[in-house]
Amino acid sequence: MALEFKLPDIGEGITEGEIVKWLVNTGDTVKEDQPLVEIMTDKVTAEIPSPTAGVVQECRGKEGDVVDVGAVIVVIETTTAGVVSEVATKEPTVAAPQSASKPQARCTSPGTSSVLSGSGAKMLAAPATRKLARELGINLTTVAGTGPRGRITPDDVRGFSSSRPTLASGPLSTPSTVQGQESEKRVPFIGMRRRIGEHLVKSKHTAPHFAYVEEVDMTELVSLRQQLKGDAEAQGVKLTYLPFIAKAVISGLKAFPGLNSSLDDAKGELVYKNHYHLGIAAATDEGLIVPVVKFADQKNLYALASEIQDLSLRARNGQLKPHDVTGGTFTLTSIGSIGGLFSVPIINHPEVGIMGINKIEKRAVVRNNTIVIRNMMYLSICCDHRVVDGSEAALFVKHVVEYLQQPARLLI
Amino acid sequence: MSSIHKPDVAIIGAGPGGYVAAIRLAQLGQKVLLVEQNKTMGGVCLNRGCIPSKALIYAGSLYEKMKHAGDMGILLSNEPTIDLPKMMDWKDGIVNKLTGGVAQLLKANGVQTLTGRAEFNGPHKLSVKTPNGNIEQVEAKSYLIATGSSPIDIPGFKRDGKVIIDSTDALSLQDVPKKLALIGGGVIGLELGILYAKLGTEVTVVEMMDQLLPGTDKDVVQVLTRSLKKRKIKVFTESKAQPVQVKGKTATLTIERPKGTEVIKDLDKVLVAVGRKPNSQSMGLEKAGVKVDDRGFIQVDHQLRTSVRHIFAIGDVTSAPLLAHKASKEGLVAAEVIAGNTHEVLDVRAMPSAVFTDPEIATVGLTEEQAKAEGYTLRIGTFPFAASGRAMSMNKTEGLVKMIVDGNTDQILGVHMIGPEVSELIAEVTLAIEMGATAEDIALTVHAHPTLPESIMEAAESVHGKAVHIYQKEKPPLVGAK
Repeated sequence: MALEFKLPDIGEGITEGEIVKWLVNTGDTVKEDQPLVEIMTDKVTAEIPSPTAGVVQECRGKEGDVVDVGAVIVVIETTTAGVVSEVATKEPTVAAPQSASKPQARCTSPGTSSVLSGSGAKMLAAPATRKLARELGINLTTVAGTGPRGRITPDDVRGFSSSRPTLASGPLSTPSTVQGQESEKRVPFIGMRRRIGEHLVKSKHTAPHFAYVEEVDMTELVSLRQQLKGDAEAQGVKLTYLPFIAKAVISGLKAFPGLNSSLDDAKGELVYKNHYHLGIAAATDEGLIVPVVKFADQKNLYALASEIQDLSLRARNGQLKPHDVTGGTFTLTSIGSIGGLFSVPIINHPEVGIMGINKIEKRAVVRNNTIVIRNMMYLSICCDHRVVDGSEAALFVKHVVEYLQQPARLLI
Repeated sequence: MSSIHKPDVAIIGAGPGGYVAAIRLAQLGQKVLLVEQNKTMGGVCLNRGCIPSKALIYAGSLYEKMKHAGDMGILLSNEPTIDLPKMMDWKDGIVNKLTGGVAQLLKANGVQTLTGRAEFNGPHKLSVKTPNGNIEQVEAKSYLIATGSSPIDIPGFKRDGKVIIDSTDALSLQDVPKKLALIGGGVIGLELGILYAKLGTEVTVVEMMDQLLPGTDKDVVQVLTRSLKKRKIKVFTESKAQPVQVKGKTATLTIERPKGTEVIKDLDKVLVAVGRKPNSQSMGLEKAGVKVDDRGFIQVDHQLRTSVRHIFAIGDVTSAPLLAHKASKEGLVAAEVIAGNTHEVLDVRAMPSAVFTDPEIATVGLTEEQAKAEGYTLRIGTFPFAASGRAMSMNKTEGLVKMIVDGNTDQILGVHMIGPEVSELIAEVTLAIEMGATAEDIALTVHAHPTLPESIMEAAESVHGKAVHIYQKEKPPLVGAK
């Protein structure tokens, strides 16, 4: 039987793609998973694999045509009837039901079609809402509108953005069986989640990571913070350990410029940064995000504290602007509030180092041949070994540790 | 001596697409080089199109009003007369002020301009031939092609600039023609034809298709056709002009009609306005690898990117409709993308268009035919300007507002208007379509009285059979797909 194969959702708010190159012709016999066509979106170029084995009956659209997600691009005469039911489940998430629209491959000049379509031409949403969706990488056709007649409001888009996994699992999930019982739940791996993934894969593939862990006696810092806390609160600042650690790290970065650099792979040049933009990893419902404290070296303790607080609050509320999350030169990631001994984080590429801040706990340690109780913490660091050697990282950490153990120096 | 320019972005063409993109790119911190082959900025729109034609059309309308001022009790001691050279000077003054203003804006924003003709020598290299014959080299990180379009020539109607003229010539005539034939019943021809008819010219229009302004709503065109008849403009549709015969200062035109032929003698001008073609020739696009379609339009994606990743194109050279504001919008989007805001795309649901005929025509969104073809079930509301108090008080009651609405959701799909100041009225409904508004949204919005936009509100009410100032026995029926 003939199978109409539709352009699948390639993810990340993509509603259409351009046919770059046909890899098969009418009449060709194709195997399952054989690439049929190269589709380019504004984000990626992807080879679209055949959902089934069979004979290509029709290739719809010329190279250079822009095709909507959900439009039929290839008609394949399947070799076995049995394959078809599998195809139905295999088909990736095609965008949510579009009531009135009937996607069709367009052969008009791309400019004309672009005037009429745009992102989700049939969705009820004002231009500014549509722009917001583009900025957040959200396909509007997957957002349920709460306004009159299903109008999508900016709040709907923001809400979708921050709670995507839960929302998406409802209407979007493709039942994995036809028998009606759900043995697994499928959630589209798109948008921010997918971007985080791509970013981390790139970092791991590009930078050979090594990790180094040291312990810090935080007792002095604990008492210093205790002393300053009241004063900070009086000024409306919630003083955590992070700003102290940030201060110590900046001092270390200044002493070891290799840690505050990046490698320009394209040009083959090491770039040493003379500015200190500190990324502070923040967990949000939507996923990991790294807002950046710009010119952190020029800010005092309280200013750092309140800026970190503001950034993480806005991160949780999904209110960060693009410039809030770009330009970092070194990153801190703190998991201590949950627990664990220490973490081995992945570098925020193209930076070359990331420091893991871990929990502070009272431990028995030996001082002057006596067992005493001190507030101890593990400090971990991961570096790009192409740029930073183990000894340099160790010396950097030592520098940071010394500052944290004699925190009064931080105030100088 | 030639020098190598190395801007972030080189833009070819300083029309309403190119110069707008240049300013936005400069605002976004890009170093911009703007190449223009003419000495003045602004392209066809400012120099030979929208602006000069609107100036003349305004003057023509004033002249016509003055002739009828007596109806309102305004008596002139002499009949008004036309000094066309002076009118042209006045128009040139406006053009100069605007093009000069654009040049100043570009300068203030730090955009570097270069006069000359640009040609690609490869995907990353451009050479510009300046008026004194120098060749300047350009190596930009990105390019933006905004070269626009030019009038199409047709065999048998070769422009001589004296008898056989194009739209540019028609904007600089020094005498009012006695008898003028218009080849092509499109936007440009009709605007100019009506202008000269107002100034006293006897005008004939020849159009091959079965209606004027092909593609425009039939009810709208019907009003226009009636109005042309009142002005004594002869219209031949479904007709073909034979090659024109010029003898001395006049021409003779033979028109083949569905039934028989028509011969028009003693024409002192034949204005050819049959359409425009993209300016994509002889600029080395093939060397750059930029693909054009079979009609010469540069193919672009939703980010205005051509087949070459760092080369963008906007405006007339990419696709119809050939509209200045479309070029500007595309220029703004392309500028954002070039400057690194890669989430930007051309996301426009409603592209308005305004035709400065008399009465004016303005449309946005789908026509009745298009909406039916797309499978919509429709409800259509109309309201005639004859029932508008404001239109009456302006002595301009010809025309109507026609609103096409999705019968299932009440969402506005298109609005088509002909009548007084509709070029100004189209903004409200364009916003409505962009916002996804319903006819009811407009009906529930208070419109100031007495104004022309009340007619839009009434047309929206009429969709539901509730127009107040016309009698509606019942709600308009659903039409189109079941």
